[in-house]
Amino acid sequence: MRDYWLSKLFFDLQSSAPLGEEYRGNPSKILDSYPLKPEVRAAVERADVAFLAQRVNPYLLRFYFLVVGMSEAEFLRKMRTAGADAAVRSSHG
Amino acid sequence: MAELVGVFASSHAPLIIRGWKDVSPDNQRDLTRSLSELGRRIKAARPDVLIEIAPDHWVNFFINNLPSICVGMGEMHEGPTEPWMKDCPYKKITGHPELANHILQTAIEFDFEPSVSHHLTLDHGFCIPLWRGGLDPLPRIVPIIFNDLEPPYPSVRRCMQWGTMLAEAVRTYPEDIRVAILATGGLSHSIGEPTMGEVDEPFDRECIRHFEKGDERPLIDFLNERLPTVGNGAAEIRNWVAAHGAAGKSGFELIAYCNCPEVYVGCGFASWNLGISV
Repeated sequence: MRDYWLSKLFFDLQSSAPLGEEYRGNPSKILDSYPLKPEVRAAVERADVAFLAQRVNPYLLRFYFLVVGMSEAEFLRKMRTAGADAAVRSSHG
Repeated sequence: MAELVGVFASSHAPLIIRGWKDVSPDNQRDLTRSLSELGRRIKAARPDVLIEIAPDHWVNFFINNLPSICVGMGEMHEGPTEPWMKDCPYKKITGHPELANHILQTAIEFDFEPSVSHHLTLDHGFCIPLWRGGLDPLPRIVPIIFNDLEPPYPSVRRCMQWGTMLAEAVRTYPEDIRVAILATGGLSHSIGEPTMGEVDEPFDRECIRHFEKGDERPLIDFLNERLPTVGNGAAEIRNWVAAHGAAGKSGFELIAYCNCPEVYVGCGFASWNLGISV
């Protein structure tokens, strides 16, 4: 399932360069303006790729981490770790 | 009456622009050659109007309102807005509202209910093949957006039927104009998923073989089975299917296939031989 406000946050950040710049300078201020569930906001704040990947379109996820400046190598490492963890969970029923 | 003078398909990997300096010299050469040949063929067809089928990468639409298929009937479209597309020469792109409206009316007759937009932004999916194919000036563009990004996607079968409808819409358009179709996206790739960066070349080659054989049902069955397994970006092959339908499911000719890991995409470039001299 998609988390609407998480998706909207990522969509807005990739749609507006000034908003992206503002977010990089003061993420809390921007996050305050979206009605994110506490656990979702916490996942954004700790850049929990695996948690966020289950709640947002993959393209928006990728755009978001480009906007916040995460290196491609780091994003790929986190994505692949998330994928491996999901496979393990799946194999354990 | 209008004439369908060409049907083409092309990948549109963003890293062809955004990550070009990291592409190996051999792959740069192959991609440049392939896109130039695609552009040469489009120019040789001398289209007055190019109908382009591409996805929207979260530029025009969001999950609060996400059309399955949208026809752009604006007099003018915006060029790409991605910051890394800033050097793209197309800032404003002229449309063809009359042909777009005729496509919409024909679609209704074919039992489609497409969405409509009078002002679209054409992102990299529309513009990279045109730009790197050297199309300047551009023919007038009728953009058609397929939702290839967020499930539920239009079915492969309906995309094939959309292509058949599109050919009929061109054939019955009363103005004497030359019309071509360009579908962009695919082949196998994965964006924002754990498999990001992986290309499934055996899948791509088999997919190409189905197009070359002029398949309809076997191609649909193959894609229904395999698309969910070869990366979310492969959903864009639906656009190629529509082009295949528009070409009457025959005449596919591969211009080039480049398995280029630096751009994360199995890049394909093709045209359909329509049996006409251009």
